[in-house]
Amino acid sequence: MEELKDKGMPHTSQKICDSIQKHPSYIGFIEEVQKLVSSSNVSVNNFNETLMKAMREKGIECHMKNNVFHWVASNKKYKMDSPIVDLAFFKRAQVQWDKRIHKSLNSMCSELGITLARARSSQDREELSEKWGELSNYDIDVSKYRPVYAPKDFLEVLLHLKSPNCKVYDIDPNWEFAHLPIKVKDLPELRQHYGELSRGEQILGTHTYGTLFEAERIQIGERVLAQHYAPVAQEYLKRGCPKNLRSEMWSLVLGADINMIQSEYYESLKNHTLYYDLMIDKLIIKDIQLTASNDDQYFVFEDVLYQVMLCFMRDGDILKHISSQPGYMQVILKGKQPTSENTMTFPPSGVIPFHGFTMYAAPICYLFQDPLKLYYVFRAFYLRYWHRLHRVCGHEQGIVSICLLFERLLQKFEPALWHHFREISISPIKVVFKWLMRAFSGHLPPEQVLQLWDLVLAYDSLEVIALLAVIIMIFRKDNLLQVTTLTNIESVLADISSINVIPLLQMALLK
Amino acid sequence: MKVTFCTDLDKSVVVTNCEKRGWVQVGPEDDWNIYWAGTLTCKSLFSVDSGYRMSDAQIINHFPNHYEISRKDLLVKNIKRYRRELEKEGNVIAEKGDSKYLHLDFIPVTFVLPADYNMFVEEYRKSPQSTWIMKPCGRSQGSGIFLINKLSKLKKWSRDTKHIFQPQLAKESYVISRYIDNPLLIGGKKFDMRLYVLVTSFRPLKAYQFKHGFCRFCTVKYDSSVAELDNMYVHLTNVSVQKHGGEYNSIHGGKLSVQNLRLHLESTRGKEVTEKLFDQISWLIIHSLKAVQPVIASDRHCFECYGYDIIIDNKLKPWLIEVNASPSLTSTTANDRILKYKLLDNIFSIIVPPSGFPDTRWNKIPTKEAMKDFELLIDEEIIQNEDPETSEKYGAKYSSMYRWR
Repeated sequence: MEELKDKGMPHTSQKICDSIQKHPSYIGFIEEVQKLVSSSNVSVNNFNETLMKAMREKGIECHMKNNVFHWVASNKKYKMDSPIVDLAFFKRAQVQWDKRIHKSLNSMCSELGITLARARSSQDREELSEKWGELSNYDIDVSKYRPVYAPKDFLEVLLHLKSPNCKVYDIDPNWEFAHLPIKVKDLPELRQHYGELSRGEQILGTHTYGTLFEAERIQIGERVLAQHYAPVAQEYLKRGCPKNLRSEMWSLVLGADINMIQSEYYESLKNHTLYYDLMIDKLIIKDIQLTASNDDQYFVFEDVLYQVMLCFMRDGDILKHISSQPGYMQVILKGKQPTSENTMTFPPSGVIPFHGFTMYAAPICYLFQDPLKLYYVFRAFYLRYWHRLHRVCGHEQGIVSICLLFERLLQKFEPALWHHFREISISPIKVVFKWLMRAFSGHLPPEQVLQLWDLVLAYDSLEVIALLAVIIMIFRKDNLLQVTTLTNIESVLADISSINVIPLLQMALLK
Repeated sequence: MKVTFCTDLDKSVVVTNCEKRGWVQVGPEDDWNIYWAGTLTCKSLFSVDSGYRMSDAQIINHFPNHYEISRKDLLVKNIKRYRRELEKEGNVIAEKGDSKYLHLDFIPVTFVLPADYNMFVEEYRKSPQSTWIMKPCGRSQGSGIFLINKLSKLKKWSRDTKHIFQPQLAKESYVISRYIDNPLLIGGKKFDMRLYVLVTSFRPLKAYQFKHGFCRFCTVKYDSSVAELDNMYVHLTNVSVQKHGGEYNSIHGGKLSVQNLRLHLESTRGKEVTEKLFDQISWLIIHSLKAVQPVIASDRHCFECYGYDIIIDNKLKPWLIEVNASPSLTSTTANDRILKYKLLDNIFSIIVPPSGFPDTRWNKIPTKEAMKDFELLIDEEIIQNEDPETSEKYGAKYSSMYRWR
């Protein structure tokens, strides 16, 4: 909130008002208030007071507060400690990277003899529509498609980042991120940030506490949900969320309510999928096939993932909402006149999936039966957090900071291990990068991923992901110190299915 | 002295587990302590003609007449008899409401054909819309199974396989059960659950339930329409059936862990109903075992691991489909191998006394540590002694077992 205070509250409130008024749900909101004003609960004599009271009773006040909360959460700007540092180079690097990916998309198209976008034939449209609920049976051959890039390619890009403020004389410049001028938290700061964990408070997810504690958490949780106030729900998540309340708690914290507008919008995305055949569809289908379909924890959700991901790929709101606007192309539909209605932003959402992108959505499938609710929670999660994990940015929560945080913590707390990696010239970040980029999804069992993501929401921060990666390495230190090749190191860390997230984090943060 | 083991199954999961314990493999003619045998070997060992007498230091993995629970027709007979007996006693467990057993209604209505044909027709007429499933009693892995929705279809089938309804010529009897046509679906697909239960004694009953297990999914969307009645990929979850489907994935093999099923159910349906479901599952396992308790020869040399097949309907009610006395130890996937390895390890941990040597004179009360990932379902010996201290020691699970309301 610091940055909001800088320009003064009036400025911020004006901005919030403006943006809420532009929101599609605003009309409905005003109607509600108008209805209320004309009811007998509001009197002319004491207009202000009675209206406020009526709004409170009707839950409209809470609704408004939540809106403000969500606005602040998604428009947060972080203050950089060293304003002299020019962070524009991150932006330039992302633009370069976007260009490279787009180029690779185009060359894949010409190789395969296809176009980026075209209208579907009516026959294809019918088939797709008929099989919408079971898209795993939709007959499409994606065997020739390859993921555009994998985490390791992206890491390569990040390791080549060079800050104009800092000359690197290291002989091995692509080994670490230490030369980048970003400030990250140290352990005392993390302990302060994750207070509940570092104070050793009871948190759900540790086996030592019995059913009594869970029952207590459920009772409190139900009251939190009844109140329907997002900041309270966020606070609640800090001490762990019972499984049965998680879906609602997450929706509340993320502001992913569903009403007419949302379901109509989702329907329009579905229709867009039925009408337009995009090259990106095949990429995401391929990604689902490579990941979720082959995963014994997620294969049952294959069909719902197809629906959600296809819609996501053409959600233009995503492009608008991501602050560091992703690059995009303007594409003319195949065989159409180059008029404005035949021109499409490509990809419409600005998102080009990397190998494993589906894993941002897969764990959430455990929480919802309804694809619509799943869609909006996934989308909100993406807009608030995940997009920072696969884009070059200097943001405090961005992947570069997360990598740097991982390195600093490892170096400081296990210098022996750090030194060992130096000796064998293997960069520790290389080993854990896929965990970081996918926020551990697909690597930890679903319940553990969900508990980890509870903490992401609770503390509104991705730092916990870097912290967990460090702890897992330290946890396996003895085995790591005995091996000297990348393959062996990877096999030491290959199976982390026995990891318990909460107790490990607690152990590390406990003073 | 070393423990010796013998096995006639060429299953690495058995051999590696035994060897890990330092046991030495010997032939069937040698002095063995533990025999992991196929049911046929077991049958001949126990037969009178074999003249084989086991010593106190020998244990084997089947009860002589396990078919009382593993044959589809006998299981049904035993459960029906068990209910009748409890009812006669006036036991509350056998309480009825709306002409159904309130607490013992855990198997779909089933008749043995040809013997119960008339009873079946009577039941059929009550609701002619329902679908029935025909299964040959003695076969497994989904072979010979088909669905019928019309009496005429059954009649036609009996004409085509004429001898069936002439008992003197009958080669194969069938069970016909009401088909659970409202199964719980996940991702639109039907599944059944495979759970593992270890019995170390029937009198007194000592049974343990393995914490891990899996759900086997059909590869094709569930569709109860008549048109799909003959499509076994829609209806049968057996891996041996699904494997032949085009959609079969050999990496996960259509298997989801029970823990993950539970996570999904608790997240989407709530905690209470999920807990009730799993309590009901333990309940039905216990009563299926109690149903065969009087007829099984409870030989003290025997222990047995059963594979329970359970289907959950969309009201979250579990139904017992069948019990397998030699559940597959073949691994179809990597996780399968881990699970089955652990299963065998944990079984050996329970059946071998703390001394490390098989001994039939042992009271078969393992320590809590020895149970590992098994949970005590019931131990009648402990219940009888009702020593509050021991009950605490062995976990509270069984003490709530007789809670039927």
